[in-house]
Amino acid sequence: MYKNILSKIKLTGSALLNWTRKNQLAGVFGALVLLFFVSCFISPNFLTVYNLQIMVRSLAFVGIIAIGQGLLLLLGDIDLSVGAIAGLCGVITGKFAVTFGVNPFISILIGLAAGVLMGMFNGLLITMFDLNAIVLTIGMQTAYKGLNQVITKGRTITGFPKSITIIGEGSIFQVPTPAIVLLIVFILMYLLTRKTFFGRNVYAVGNSIETAKMVGIKAHHVRIISYGICGFLAALTGILMSLRLASAQSSIGEIWVLPSIAAPVIGGIATTGGIGSITGALIGGSIMGVVSNIIVLGGVNLYWQQVLNGFIVVLAIIFDSFSRKFRTN
Amino acid sequence: MAILEARGITKKFPGVVALNDVDLSLKQGTIHCIVGENGAGKSTLVKILTGLQQADAGTLFIDGHEGNAHYLHSSECIAYVPQELNLFPFMTVAENIFIPFSRSGKSSIFFDEKEMEENAKKYLKRLNMTVDPCDIAQNIPISEQQLLQVARALSREKFKVIILDEPTTSLTKTETERLFSILNVLREEGKTIVFISHKLDEVFSIGDYVTVLRNGELVGESDLKSVDQNWIIQKMTGKEIDFTKNYKPQNPSNEVLLKVENLSGHMFEDISFEVRRGEIVGFAGLVGAGRSEVMQTLFGYLRKKQGEAYFNNNPWKFGNTSSSIANGLIYLTEERKTHGILPFLNVRENIGIQLKHKISKRGVVLQKRDRAVANRVISTYSVKTHSPETKIVNLSGGNQQKVLIGRAMESSPKVIIFDEPTKGIDVNTKEEIYRLMKELAEKEGVGIILISSELEELLRCSNRIITMYEGKVNARYEEHQISQNQILRSIIGVSN
Repeated sequence: MYKNILSKIKLTGSALLNWTRKNQLAGVFGALVLLFFVSCFISPNFLTVYNLQIMVRSLAFVGIIAIGQGLLLLLGDIDLSVGAIAGLCGVITGKFAVTFGVNPFISILIGLAAGVLMGMFNGLLITMFDLNAIVLTIGMQTAYKGLNQVITKGRTITGFPKSITIIGEGSIFQVPTPAIVLLIVFILMYLLTRKTFFGRNVYAVGNSIETAKMVGIKAHHVRIISYGICGFLAALTGILMSLRLASAQSSIGEIWVLPSIAAPVIGGIATTGGIGSITGALIGGSIMGVVSNIIVLGGVNLYWQQVLNGFIVVLAIIFDSFSRKFRTN
Repeated sequence: MAILEARGITKKFPGVVALNDVDLSLKQGTIHCIVGENGAGKSTLVKILTGLQQADAGTLFIDGHEGNAHYLHSSECIAYVPQELNLFPFMTVAENIFIPFSRSGKSSIFFDEKEMEENAKKYLKRLNMTVDPCDIAQNIPISEQQLLQVARALSREKFKVIILDEPTTSLTKTETERLFSILNVLREEGKTIVFISHKLDEVFSIGDYVTVLRNGELVGESDLKSVDQNWIIQKMTGKEIDFTKNYKPQNPSNEVLLKVENLSGHMFEDISFEVRRGEIVGFAGLVGAGRSEVMQTLFGYLRKKQGEAYFNNNPWKFGNTSSSIANGLIYLTEERKTHGILPFLNVRENIGIQLKHKISKRGVVLQKRDRAVANRVISTYSVKTHSPETKIVNLSGGNQQKVLIGRAMESSPKVIIFDEPTKGIDVNTKEEIYRLMKELAEKEGVGIILISSELEELLRCSNRIITMYEGKVNARYEEHQISQNQILRSIIGVSN
């Protein structure tokens, strides 16, 4: 009985997968559009400029960090310290801009550079000692968080100059500036992965690191640079959030780790690497954004929201596993 | 009466018939040897006997009763020592012997470590092993590990038949003799032993009966007392190969492209050879003789221990695959699926990945050139693919191989190493690959190194043949000296 049902699920599942495999992006995009329409019916407040602005602004943060993580997942790598990097870099920018009185734009650059270094340091350790990325980055997460506490002593840094907080808070033609940053990041990362040789190498390493070495790709370099890019995007997210809040809080970033992995996976990037695209990561992030928005609008209890979010992620991972088995058959 | 009998066993894998209508009959209390070249079907036959694989056709009889593979597997009447080491590396010797632990002591639910270690000593002593039951498996010498697998098989006391698949590959002479004396004892106890080996002197020193397989067919069965080595070698090689249809490059030049001197590395030592412009040098040997390791070291994929090489008379830089490719040496791997293709990328991307300078400018891929190169490879090497945008996993093995050859040629190499280029490829495409290799050598002047486990392939394509045995060069044959019989002897370690 149980077996019967399971095989039926597998059958319809595989038919669905067959279609989505051929039209991978179309599938997820279709789901997003469907979700969007359903949401319009569920709540009259969904399709309002105010709500869309809120949604897009929060999507911007998750989206940027998810694109960074998506790049690593394409390689078959992962960085669980992105949240800690985001928080620490926000604090670093705040420290320079507020406490040291450095030019705010230069402070931002310093924060971004710190993010690149932290990401590359992760990548360097992983490739140099051939470590498990998950374990290493969990360790580094604690270290970066600790460093954050050392700098802030747990206190929030306030008093960011107006000249830069506008980047986090403002809007251009009603579009929140973080969303514009996300769009720019997306375009650049799309070009990087799709149009450059570096992008080809990323896919090659993700497909088979052994083959990549055989065709003369310096796999370590590709991985370390990608960790650096992911660190940069994590820092960018953290700094943007600090600018939006006009203060650097040590807790910024913690909540982004899981969505940063879930979004690319929902969007069709295989956790084992080599399959999927940055576009998928963005669409996956959008799906998560719409879902959490409609949950709030639908008046679901705050605690249940977490339960639902968790299940969505679990579903996405099961789907990923199914599609991987399907591909290997 | 036969204790175990197999009739009409047939097993097909995609593209190959591994076994075709093979019979095998084992008499109780005898040692039965199975011999054949690589790929003759020995291991497949054994896996079917042990129940690890299911035959497509054929029947098994145990003590005269018909039985299926599942029964064989669960009844534990067959003990099996596999060819590859498959121990639990971080468990102790005793744990490895008794896993699953139901046999380790009196109770089948709780187990007593002390009792298990005590019990293990019995088997260790029987095999004259020096290791302690508490030693961790990965820390004991390879030869002891191989014997440990035998001990594990022996612990299945109920067995009637024990199958040993090339158990002596990493044993020294004394260890081998020790193993043989145990096999003799087992035979006297009435157990039946199936012994698979490439080494014919071993077969003659211990066996009672021999079965010879070739290309999945049963080609000879005999009492070992009434035949000699020559009979077996003749059966293994079969009919003389038709050399009128050969693919040897004509008129290779004398210009030396690659010169390797006293190269040593993992699994091989002191290898020297030359490759000249426009010739195919064949490397013959058993699986594990170290041929691939030599080439991968040269290519920079593995690390060298010692030795030098010269490429176009310049000292060769080891240890860097990308500089090897840039300097004109390409290695086409035997592990096409895991080390050759990028499975989820399409044909065009698979071709472009090695050609950075050809298809990109300042890091940006030039789509037009990318497509042009892909189309050129597809048409030049007549790759059968729906379009350049088809995922490469959807192509047949032969067409994947042609894509990889095309990719290699686009980076204008001077020397190409083909490691088992026709593994898993159907007969017609094989001929196409031979023709391609010949053309590359004749028209482009490429020096080709061909590693193959198929003797026929080597004989038909190579200008010269070098044989390797256990990590060393065993013999070298110039074109006029090449004979099938001699090379086979050289591969299996018979001194000439």
